[in-house]
Amino acid sequence: MKPAQFEQHEPQTVEEAVSLLESLDDRAILSGGQSMVPMLRFRLAVPETVIDINRIESLDYLEEEDGWLTIGALARHADVEQSELVDENYGSFADAAPLVADPQIRNRGTVVGGVAQADPKGDWGSVLLAHEGEVVAHGPDGERVIPAKDFFLLPYDTTLDENELVTEIRVPTPEPREGSAYHKLKRKVGDYAMVGSAARLVFDEDGRIERAGIGLTAVDITNVRATDAEDHLEGERPGSDLFKRAGELAAEQSNPESDEHGDAGYKERMVNVLTQRALGDAAERAGVVKRRVSQ
Amino acid sequence: MSSDSERFAEAEDGGPQPEKHCGHGRGGMGEEVKRKEDQRFITGRGNYVDDIKKPGMLHCEIVRSPHAHARIENIDKSRALDVDGVVAVLTAEDLLEYDLATMPTLMDDTQDVLVNDKVKFQSQEVAAVIATDRYTAKDGAEKVVVDYDVLDPVVDAEKALEDDAPLIRDDIEGQEDNHCLDWETGDEEATARVFDDAPVTVKEQMLYQRLHPAPIETCGAVGDFDPGKDKLTVHMTSQAPHIHRTLFSQVSGIPEHKVRIVSPDVGGGFGNKVPIYPGYVVAAAASYVLEQPVKWVEERSENIQSTGFARDYDMQGELAATEDGEILAVRTDVLADHGAYNAVAQPSKFPAGFFNIFTGSYDVDTAYGTLTAAYTNTAPGGVAYRCSFRVTEAVYLIERMVKVLADELEMDPAEIRRKNFIQPDQFPYESPTGWNYDSGDYEKALDLALEMADYDDYREEQQRRIEEDADKLLGIGISSFTEVVGAGPGKTCDIAGVEMFDSAEIRVHPTGNATVRVGVQTQGQGHETTFAQIVAEELGMDVDDITVEHGDTDTDPYGLGTYGSRSTPVAGAAAAVASRKVREKAKAIAANELEAAEADITWDRESGEFHVAGAPDRSISITEIAAGAYMNKPAGEDPGLEAVNYYDPPEMTYPFGSYIVIVEIDRETGEVEFEKFVAVDDCGNRINPMIIEGQIHGGLAQGIGTAMMEHVTFDDNGNVTGGDFMNYLLPTSMEIPEFETGHTVTPSPHHPIGAKGVGESPTVGSPPAIVNAVVDAMAHGGISHVEMPMTPDVVWEKLDEAGLAMDPADNVALEFDVQSSDEAADD
Repeated sequence: MKPAQFEQHEPQTVEEAVSLLESLDDRAILSGGQSMVPMLRFRLAVPETVIDINRIESLDYLEEEDGWLTIGALARHADVEQSELVDENYGSFADAAPLVADPQIRNRGTVVGGVAQADPKGDWGSVLLAHEGEVVAHGPDGERVIPAKDFFLLPYDTTLDENELVTEIRVPTPEPREGSAYHKLKRKVGDYAMVGSAARLVFDEDGRIERAGIGLTAVDITNVRATDAEDHLEGERPGSDLFKRAGELAAEQSNPESDEHGDAGYKERMVNVLTQRALGDAAERAGVVKRRVSQ
Repeated sequence: MSSDSERFAEAEDGGPQPEKHCGHGRGGMGEEVKRKEDQRFITGRGNYVDDIKKPGMLHCEIVRSPHAHARIENIDKSRALDVDGVVAVLTAEDLLEYDLATMPTLMDDTQDVLVNDKVKFQSQEVAAVIATDRYTAKDGAEKVVVDYDVLDPVVDAEKALEDDAPLIRDDIEGQEDNHCLDWETGDEEATARVFDDAPVTVKEQMLYQRLHPAPIETCGAVGDFDPGKDKLTVHMTSQAPHIHRTLFSQVSGIPEHKVRIVSPDVGGGFGNKVPIYPGYVVAAAASYVLEQPVKWVEERSENIQSTGFARDYDMQGELAATEDGEILAVRTDVLADHGAYNAVAQPSKFPAGFFNIFTGSYDVDTAYGTLTAAYTNTAPGGVAYRCSFRVTEAVYLIERMVKVLADELEMDPAEIRRKNFIQPDQFPYESPTGWNYDSGDYEKALDLALEMADYDDYREEQQRRIEEDADKLLGIGISSFTEVVGAGPGKTCDIAGVEMFDSAEIRVHPTGNATVRVGVQTQGQGHETTFAQIVAEELGMDVDDITVEHGDTDTDPYGLGTYGSRSTPVAGAAAAVASRKVREKAKAIAANELEAAEADITWDRESGEFHVAGAPDRSISITEIAAGAYMNKPAGEDPGLEAVNYYDPPEMTYPFGSYIVIVEIDRETGEVEFEKFVAVDDCGNRINPMIIEGQIHGGLAQGIGTAMMEHVTFDDNGNVTGGDFMNYLLPTSMEIPEFETGHTVTPSPHHPIGAKGVGESPTVGSPPAIVNAVVDAMAHGGISHVEMPMTPDVVWEKLDEAGLAMDPADNVALEFDVQSSDEAADD
C-alpha cells in the first residue's frame, strides 16, 4: 500500500473531532478503514489529513437504551456478530453481520462507518431503512438526528453536513409481535452483495401486519426502501401469496444495473426471491406463521 | 555408450517401493515427512524479494497506460523529476541507448520493455520512476505527463479477426491483420470420414475463460549491478532462474557468467512467474545505469492487469460415436486470444502447448484439431497456470464432451467412460496425435472414486428429487483425466532453444550429511523436503541430514525451472540418478573399509547399509563411507563423495485420476453448493503423501475458483474490469468444501523412482467435473452446457431456460398461526 502523504490526527473526544473537522479543509475520517484504506491505497482518496476516530472510546458501544438499540461509531461488525442482545432480538442485524465482507474485515470495519460510507452495495443501510432507524450526527451545533429515510442521497453521498461526524445509528427496540431478517446473495465471502433485502414486520394482536419495512441493497443508487411492497403488506395477514406479491412489487420498484455482479433482470428476480425469504423469516420470528415446506 | 541417466534409470534392487516399504524410518519415499521449509514460513522468517534490503537501494514505480490502444505523442518527465527524492525517470528513449527498449518473449515475439511508440494494452509499461523510497516513486509516477493519441481498441479475439478491426501489431513487418498463428494436429480427412459415417455426433461450444494465476506474492525484482566486478545480480520472483539468466545475458549483452539470478523464497508461481516481465528488466537496467540497487515490486492490480494470464481458449468440441457409446473420433476448433504479443509460455515447438492431447483417457483412433490465435489489446499471456501447457484446456474439452455424449445417448457418464478407457495392457499407448502414454489404470481409479462418492445412492437421490420436483437439484459430475507432465524430452521440448532437461548435484560431506542442489525452483511445492526424501531413499541417509538448495544460478546446476509439474519427473529423476552415482562410488569405499572386493558389495535399501554379499553383519553405513571418502580413500580413487546428473527424460509421465463432484443447485437463486467432492489421483510412486495431499487440496481450490468465480474481464474500451481482488474473485477456505482424497499407484515405467508429477492434476482435472455436475443437475431440462465461471446469475439463466427456476412461494407455504403469535407475545 502506497498512499499519498497525509497527516494524521487522533482526537480523543467527539468535540475534538468536530473541531478538527471545522478547522481542517481537506480531510477524511478513518474509523474501521474498510473503505477508506482501499481508497487511500488506490489514491482515490488523497486527503491532506486523516482524522482517526479510533481513540474516541465513548463511541465504542452496542446497547439498548430508552427504547432504542444504539450502535456507536466504533462498534465493529464483529461486535454485532457476537452480541447476544442482537442475536436474541434483532434478526436482521444478526443475519447481516456475518454476511458483511470477510472475518478479518469484520474485526475492524464498523457498522456506523458502513452506513456513513453510503455505498449502495453496503448492507447496513438496508437494515437501518427496514427498521425505520435513525442516524445520529455531531457537528459544531451539537447533536442532530436524521431519520434513515432522509439520510442517503447518492452513492457515497448523504445529507450529512460538511462538519458533522456520524456518532451512532439506532433502531427502535422490538415491539411484542415483531420480527426481522436480512437475506443477501453474493458470489463469495468478502464479495459485495449481488442483491440484499432486509425486512421488518410488526403485527397487531389479530396477526395483521401493522407496519412493514423493506430495505434493498445494491439495486439502486442508494440503499432504498421498497415502499410499494410495504404499502401492500400493511393491514394484511401474512402468507405465501401476500409475500409473493410483495416480492414482485419490490422487484418492480428496484432499479438494478447490469454489472459484474449479474445482469439487471437477474437482480430484479433476486430482489423478489430474497424479499420473500426475508419476509417469511421475519413473520416466523414474530411468531405469527409456521413454515411448511410444500414437499 | 549409455548415459548416466540410462545406466542408473533402474536400480539394482528394482528401485523404491514406497507402498510396501515406507520411508525405512529415515524419511525416505512414502513417508509423511513434515515440510522442512515450513518452520521458517510459519515463524515469519521467509525471505522473499520484497524482504531484500541493500545499502543505497532505490525503488522503482512503473507508469502504466490508462488506455488499451494509443500512440504516445509525448512524455514529460519534468514535474516528476521535481519531486523531492525522485532520482531518475526512464522512458523507452533512455533504454534505446542501451538497446534495452525491447525484449524477446518466450515465443520469440518482441515486446516493449517501455513503450516507444504505441501502447497495445491497458496497464502497459510506459515509464519508470526511480526514487529513494517506494512512496516517493509512486508520487513521482503520478507526475509523469504522457500525451496519448487514443486509438480504437479490440479486446475480443473474434472481433479482432474481423476485416475492419484496428491493426494492433503495426510494428511487425508485413502484418496486416490481428492474426497471430494457425496450428493443426491429427488427420483432417480421416476424421471427416469418420464423422460423416458415424451413427451419432455431438457438438458443443465452450469458452475456457481468461484466468489470472494469482500468486499471493506479486512479481518483483531487485536489480543489483556491481560495477567493481562488472556483475549483474538480479533477485527476482522467478520459476526458472537459469533460463532467465540466459535470456538476461542475451538481452543485455552482459556475458552469462557475469549474470546471477537469485530466486529466493517465492510466494506462489502457478506459471505467472515463468515469463520475463518488463519490470524485471527495468529494475536491472536502472541498477546498471545508476550503479545502485533498484527494487521493483508490483502492486496487486498491476500483477492482475499486466502479467501473464492463462487459458482464453474458445473451443468447439465434437465427438463421433456409435449408438452404444463407443467414441470413434474427436474433432476440435479453437479460437485463442494471445493478447498483444505472442508471449505464451510453452516449449518452443508447441504453439498450442500440449493441447493436442485432447483425446484424453480414451482409446480413440482418429482425431483432428485446428487452432487460430489472434492478437488483441489485452495483456500478453497464455501461461501454463498450474498445468502443463494447455493440457487443462484439452482435458476440459474432452471431459465435457464425454458428458455431452453421455447425455445425448442417455448413458451413465461413468459407464461411457469405462467403455472407452485405454486399457492397462495397451500401455505404452500411442495417441492419434502422437503422444506416448507411459502407464495407466483408469478404470481402477474411477471405480475407487465411484465407491468413495456413494455414486449409486446419489443417482437414486437425484432421481427422487426430480420426481418430487424438489427445490434443490442434485448434480453428479465426473472427470477421468489424464495429465501429461515432465517436459522434455529435450529432442522435442526446449525453451528459447535450451533443451528441457533438469539437474541435481549431491555433495556428501566428511561428517556424513549432504547438500543437494537442484536446477528446479520451489514456489511452495515442498522441494526442500521431497528432494531430500529421494536422496534419503537412494543413499540410505536420514532425511534430516540432507539440505536442498535451489534458486541461485551461481551455485546450482543449470535447470529449466519448475512449472508443468516437471520437478519430480525430471529433476526428481536427476536426484535419483545422482544418488545412484554416489552409491556406486560408495561401494568402492565400502569395499576398501570392509576389506572385500567391490563386486561383492551390495546395498540394502531397507537398512540403508552396504554389506558384503552373503555376510550381512559385515556392513557399513553411508556416514562411515563419507568419512572414508575424505579420510581414508581407497588407492586409485579420487577423494570426495559427490555426483551431478543432468537428466533428459526419455518421455513425459502421464498422471491421471478420477474426480467426482456432487452439487446442489438452489432453484430460486441459482446458487451452487458442493455436497461431496471426491478426488482419486494416481501419480505413480508417491514420495510424500502429505505434500501430495496438500497439493491436491490447493489445486482443487483453484479448480473451484476456475469453475465458480474467476474471470479476467474487459469492457469495450479495453479497461480491465476484473483487475483487483474485489472483482477478480478467488476462493477462500470459506468457499471450499471438504475434500475426500484417495489414490491408486501405477508407477511410471521409465522414471528412476517410478514417480509422476502431481501438483497440477487437481487444477486440470477438477473444472470439468464441477461443470459436469452442474450440467448434470439440469440435464433433464435439456441443458447441455454451462459456461464458467458458474456464478449464481449464470446458473439461474440456465434454470430459467430449462423451466427449472422456482419461486419461494412454490416451495414454502406459510401457515398463519396467530396462536403461536400469542405464545410469542407471552414469552
